[in-house]
Amino acid sequence: MKEGKTVKFNLHSHQQQQQHANGGHLSPFKFAKLLDPDASWDKDQLGDVLHWIRQVVALVCGLLWGSIPLVGGIWIVIFLLISSAIIYGYYAMVLKIDEEDFGGHGALLQEGLFASTTLFLLVWILVYSLAHF
Amino acid sequence: MATPQMLSSLKYSDSLTVVGISFCTAIICESISWLLIYRTNSYKTLKSSIDKASKKLETMKIENPAKISTKKSKTKKIDRVETSLKESSRDLSLFKFKSGAVVALVLFVVFGLLNSLFEGKVVAKLPFKPFGIVMKMSHRGLQGDDATDCSMAFLYFLCSISIRTNLQKFLGFSPPRGAAAGGGLFPMPDPKTN
Repeated sequence: MKEGKTVKFNLHSHQQQQQHANGGHLSPFKFAKLLDPDASWDKDQLGDVLHWIRQVVALVCGLLWGSIPLVGGIWIVIFLLISSAIIYGYYAMVLKIDEEDFGGHGALLQEGLFASTTLFLLVWILVYSLAHF
Repeated sequence: MATPQMLSSLKYSDSLTVVGISFCTAIICESISWLLIYRTNSYKTLKSSIDKASKKLETMKIENPAKISTKKSKTKKIDRVETSLKESSRDLSLFKFKSGAVVALVLFVVFGLLNSLFEGKVVAKLPFKPFGIVMKMSHRGLQGDDATDCSMAFLYFLCSISIRTNLQKFLGFSPPRGAAAGGGLFPMPDPKTN
C-alpha cells in the first residue's frame, strides 16, 4: 500500500470563495507551506503553485538558454524534461503528496505546461535575438 | 536618453515592439472581460456553484470509491452532482462565449495592425529550426529560405498565450478547474443516462 498524504478537503469553502473572489494571488498564503511536507493541500492551491513553479523555471531556462546561447530543438526537449522533473520532485519528494488524491501524475504534471512552454520559447527567442545579433 | 537609441540599434528591436503591444492588448482584453464577464453576478454565481459541486463530487468519490458493494442511492447522488456540474460548466462556457466575441474582435484588430506594421519583416531569430505547422507560422510572409527567421505571427502567438494565460492566473480570472472536467460548451454524452 502506498504511503501518502490524504487530502483534507475543506467542505467549508467560504474561505476559499473569498480567496478566489479576491484574486488567487492575494490569498493569505504562507510561503512556509511551500516546503512543509505536513501541510494539507487544496487541489486548486496545489495546482496554482505548480503552475507558477513551471513559469519561473521557464523564465530562468529561457534566460539561460538565450544568453549562453544554446541552440537547437533538443534544448526544448531538455527544458521539458527539466521542468517536469522539478515539478515531480517537488510534489513527490518535498511535499510528499499522494498524487491519486489530485487526479494522478498526469493532472499534476500538466499544470501550467502549455503556458510555461510558450513562455520559455518567447524568452529564449527574445534573449537570443537581442543579445547575439 | 541613451536607452531608446540603444534599443533601436538592436537588429531585432521590433520583437520588443511586438511583445509590448501584446502585453498592452492582454491588459485591454482582460479589462474588457472583467467589465463584461467577471464582475457580473451571473459569472460569480456560476463559478461558485462549479467550485462547490466539484469539491462535493471529489469528496463523495473519495468516500465512495467505485466498488460493487456501493449503494445505488450513493451512485445516484454522485450522478446528480456530476450532471449539475456539467450543466453549470456548460452555462459558464455559453456565458463567456457571448461576451468573448468582443475580446475576439479586439484581438483581430490588433493582429491586423501588427500585420500591417511588420508584414514581410523578420522580427526575431529562432534558436532552433522549426518544422511542419510551426515553420508555416514562423515563416509566414517572409522572403528567403532561412528557417530560423521569425515572423511577427509566431512571436505574437507565443506572447498571446504566455502573457494572457499568466495574467489571467495572476488576476484570478482563470476558469475553475471543475469546469474543465465538467465538459464545457460541447459536453460528451453521459453513458449512464443513455
